[in-house]
Amino acid sequence: MAVREFALPDLGEGLTESEIVEWHVAVGDMVSLNQPIAEVETAKAIVSLPSPVAGKISALHAEPGATVAVGTRIVTFELEGAADAAAESNTPNEPNASGGSGASDSGNDDVDAESPSKADAAPERNSVLVGYGPAVESGKRPTRKARTARAETTGSSPANTPVDEPVDVPVDVPDEAPAETPVAAPADARTKTTPPVRKLAHDLGVDLTRVSGTGAEGVITRDDVTRAAESSTSAGGAAQSDSSTASGSTAPVSGQRLTRQTDRPREQRTPIKSVRKATAAAMVSSAFTAPHVTEFLTIDVTRTLELVTTLKAKGSAASVLAVIGKALCIGVDRNPSLNSRWDAEANEIVEFGYVNLGIAVATPRGLMVPNIKDADALSLPDLTDAIGTLARNARASKATPASLNGGTISITNVGVFGIDAGTPILNPGEAAILAMGAVRKMPWEYHGEVALRDVMTLSLSFDHRLVDGEQGARFLTDVGAILNEPGTVLSMV
Amino acid sequence: MTELTLAKALGSGLRRALSEDDKVVLLGEDIGTLGGVFRVTDGLQRDFGTERVMDTPLAEAGIIGMAVGLAFRGYRPVCEIQFDGFIYPGFDQIVAQVAKLHYRTAGNVRMPLTIRVPYGGGIGAVEHHSESPEAYFSHTAGLRVVTCSTPQDAHSMLREAIASDDPVLFFEPKRRYWTKGEVDEDAVGLPMGKARVVVEGTDVTLVTYGPLVATALDAAVAAADDGISIEVVDLRSLSPVDFDTVSASVRKTGCLVITHEAAESGGLGAEIAATLTDRCFYYLESAPVRITGFDVPYPAAKLEDHFLPDLDRILDGVDRALGRENSLTGWSA
Amino acid sequence: MSTTVPVKAEKPVAKKQNPEFVQLLDPDGNRLSDDVYDQWVSDVTGDQLASLYEDLIIVRRIDTEATALQRQGELGLWPPLFGQEAAQVGSARTLRPDDFVFSSYRENAVAYCRGVKLPDLVRVWRGTVASGWDPFSVGMATPAVIIGAQTLHATGYAVGCMKDGVDSVAVAYFGDGATSEGDVSEAMIFAASFNAPVIFFCQNNQWAISEPVGLQAQRPIADRAPGFGIPSIRVDGNDVLAVMAATRSALDRARNGGGPTFIEAVTYRRGPHTTSDDPSRYVDPVVAKEWEARDPIMRVEAYLRSEGVLTDELAASIQGRADQVAAEFREGCISLENPEPLSVFDNVYATEHSGLTRQKSQYKAYLEGFEK
Repeated sequence: MAVREFALPDLGEGLTESEIVEWHVAVGDMVSLNQPIAEVETAKAIVSLPSPVAGKISALHAEPGATVAVGTRIVTFELEGAADAAAESNTPNEPNASGGSGASDSGNDDVDAESPSKADAAPERNSVLVGYGPAVESGKRPTRKARTARAETTGSSPANTPVDEPVDVPVDVPDEAPAETPVAAPADARTKTTPPVRKLAHDLGVDLTRVSGTGAEGVITRDDVTRAAESSTSAGGAAQSDSSTASGSTAPVSGQRLTRQTDRPREQRTPIKSVRKATAAAMVSSAFTAPHVTEFLTIDVTRTLELVTTLKAKGSAASVLAVIGKALCIGVDRNPSLNSRWDAEANEIVEFGYVNLGIAVATPRGLMVPNIKDADALSLPDLTDAIGTLARNARASKATPASLNGGTISITNVGVFGIDAGTPILNPGEAAILAMGAVRKMPWEYHGEVALRDVMTLSLSFDHRLVDGEQGARFLTDVGAILNEPGTVLSMV
Repeated sequence: MTELTLAKALGSGLRRALSEDDKVVLLGEDIGTLGGVFRVTDGLQRDFGTERVMDTPLAEAGIIGMAVGLAFRGYRPVCEIQFDGFIYPGFDQIVAQVAKLHYRTAGNVRMPLTIRVPYGGGIGAVEHHSESPEAYFSHTAGLRVVTCSTPQDAHSMLREAIASDDPVLFFEPKRRYWTKGEVDEDAVGLPMGKARVVVEGTDVTLVTYGPLVATALDAAVAAADDGISIEVVDLRSLSPVDFDTVSASVRKTGCLVITHEAAESGGLGAEIAATLTDRCFYYLESAPVRITGFDVPYPAAKLEDHFLPDLDRILDGVDRALGRENSLTGWSA
Repeated sequence: MSTTVPVKAEKPVAKKQNPEFVQLLDPDGNRLSDDVYDQWVSDVTGDQLASLYEDLIIVRRIDTEATALQRQGELGLWPPLFGQEAAQVGSARTLRPDDFVFSSYRENAVAYCRGVKLPDLVRVWRGTVASGWDPFSVGMATPAVIIGAQTLHATGYAVGCMKDGVDSVAVAYFGDGATSEGDVSEAMIFAASFNAPVIFFCQNNQWAISEPVGLQAQRPIADRAPGFGIPSIRVDGNDVLAVMAATRSALDRARNGGGPTFIEAVTYRRGPHTTSDDPSRYVDPVVAKEWEARDPIMRVEAYLRSEGVLTDELAASIQGRADQVAAEFREGCISLENPEPLSVFDNVYATEHSGLTRQKSQYKAYLEGFEK
């Protein structure tokens, strides 16, 4: 025996509820299809409800005089024969039964077990003159439909989905035209970033074409720009590139405009003079006077980066280069041979009690190494500022001769060029030069597990007349230890 | 190849369409004996007869509605609405019937109508003769909307519109009717659904259509004096808009200016600005700029220069897009 | 009496010919004679009239069933034609397959006569599609919801027939309210100017939702057409024979190059405007009762009984047929399947539209993100 529930349908009279005025039938009556079973009052008119099925009334769910919401079950029928079981699920078979959009569980669902729950479903629709009418509020708390898990997008940028490259979604309809296919960005497309970040880059003097984006689809994020600005002391701020994407999207389009390459002459001759001549002479003198040895140490500098971020957030000037400068000062304090000079004339080795820290700066006129006097006496914020000032002046060709003389030890940042390590040549007269490489995210040992950490290689070249291997190594590990865990300083000073 | 005015190029396009397909019929007011108020249909009734080129009673709904019936019967009607401002009585037939019949009948009934509409201002006319109503129709699903800017495009695009099985609103820039240009009747042109990069540039993408294409080109020439390189894109199709072409240009230049005669609010410029911001956000140097007619009814002849975008207003917009000093420098959001 | 012999007006006229309109069968079932229009139905046999009677019974039954289905929540809406059966059947049964109908949403009896299948009659009202049938398969356009717009389409179609050199006719069905819309006047102007083979068939059912015809017209609607140069016939819309005669005369005129005709079929909308309407708010029950007495089916039944054509046996078999149709109709309705979600994008254009293709792709991706 099949059961059929009947709920008060939308009667097209503009109400969400109606009053059952009168039943024409009683429990146990047999009714025929379309036989009037009730009078219902709507909008001051009384409407007759025809029976939706032929069968027996097994239950009436409302008293005469009761007001019933549309969609509420009012009659239960027992149907004759199994054929009727395939009959309609009761409720007003309106498309959006759940209030959601799209295809619905409507009139053709035929599982009787569902009917009671649907019958008790929230009221369906307010009728209008021209159709089913708008859906009635269910009164339940609004929630979203359940979605399947999506792949997490990485990167801190707001660019989570490629909005300018349509996905090729195959369309099933046979004679439908093909769906959109992805459009590749033209080869001369600009760097990808958001307008606000573009402005930030402009303000900080960062050349976006030399920044690799860590956001989705290679978009340059705000962090990418700030990191590039802070780690840069030379040539317009280049990348700490942690993704080695050699993609077309970072094609060398200048921050200004795309210019076409002119045809190069077969030979272009420039007279050797001024800075370049002097630099070359110094390099030759240094390289062929002092026996150079270079030692390398690769360390996890995550804690240093975190420290710098924290300090800056507190408004205190800080940079990775300054921290290295500080570490270097502590290192030479413990290993003074690296802060010394081979005075051939006086036939003496001079150990300095101060640090005039040279910073190698690439300027439009060539490589310069101005130094910060008594860098070891400067606090970290002061040192940071001093480095910034020094670099700016040098680049603007305002470095004084005084600043270019008297250095005792130097640092060179090859990391800005994306280089890990090198064999730097000593600044003539100095015993050591420390090269800092690019910071890369690498899988590294961390608390006994493999984790992505910020890793940097330090390359220390020294004059083997003044520094032996062990001293160099100890100095390097001191610096490394500080960079790895800045708190180590407390055990050193 | 011959040199033709835009109006004559349209006429020759209609002539070719009438010759090539017996089912093409022209309907409109004054198109027969008079040859059209702009002479676009000059000589066509004489050569093809009153059965093919029909003067209709003065009733735009009637013209379009009758075309619907003819389309049911398998004809390919080309309706002329005499002036842009007169399209409104026919709006219901266009939007409620022509646009929807294919969808409504699940493709059983096709509406291969072309509705030609001279539009736009700059002709010193009285009211209702200088409208730019294209946005109403580009907003209506089921219609294709195109507009030409040169005699060649006028000819080729009109023939393509007539041949299309979809209804096409074909907007003709009336102030350019007398512009001359080379027309190759047999050239296989750029499809009417595609935009054209008219001149290449590197600094800013200037998107426009119809009557303002010539103005935009003038602006590009003048801008070169300031060292600004403008890429001018003629949209040609307003539904669909060829966003691929526009996006590629904006990805190159990073700056977008859109200009049209139609009023600013809710115009095509808004649609293009929104879509390009969506698709090219990471390539944008600055916010898209719209240089358009104001949100006023089209003004009297003596004031129309203070309504229509001209070279200077367009370049002011270009300045804004490029972050240069412009009339709105210092205006807060 | 033999049922194959044409039914003639043998008896003297029982009542005075109604000066208001053409009438061949009065409300009591008396056959009246008319000098002009008798000839158009002189061939109609008793069997044929019985067949028309069956049509009237069936279309009324369909209408009732559809109303019940709406009350049972199976249809969103139904516009009843209760009371207008003769106007629709009498005219529709005169058309040829190559004629073409442009109607309003109430002409479901015309659709039935044109051969529209039962489930197809309700697709639109159930909301599964926007159009119930392929217009070219039955020679009837998708019913218009915009009032009066279809009259222009019929005119255009008729002009197309002329161009094709065929004698097919276009018929526009519309109501009294529609005659206030500009499109209808324009259609008549165009039809007259081009001498188009189109019939303007107006069912004046006295109501446009709640507005009485007196608000739409200050003289009989049929009087408008001559002002446009179109001959006009005012006919008793509840008299299936008169409607048939008038329509045949109009068809003849159109097929022979005589141009358009306007027919005003005077009838009454005995039901609500649609199932969402409440006529008790504006209908005078006294007037409604008067129209009940002019019911189209009653008079044919009375006449056929008096002629001995309608026997109890035949009546029962007709009722059985009606029940069968109703059941088939019901079954067809409730088994209509809901459309697939992505079909919302189908058939907007005949050719590819890039913007829409992209939209559909994106929506498809969106839908796929939900758990099934």
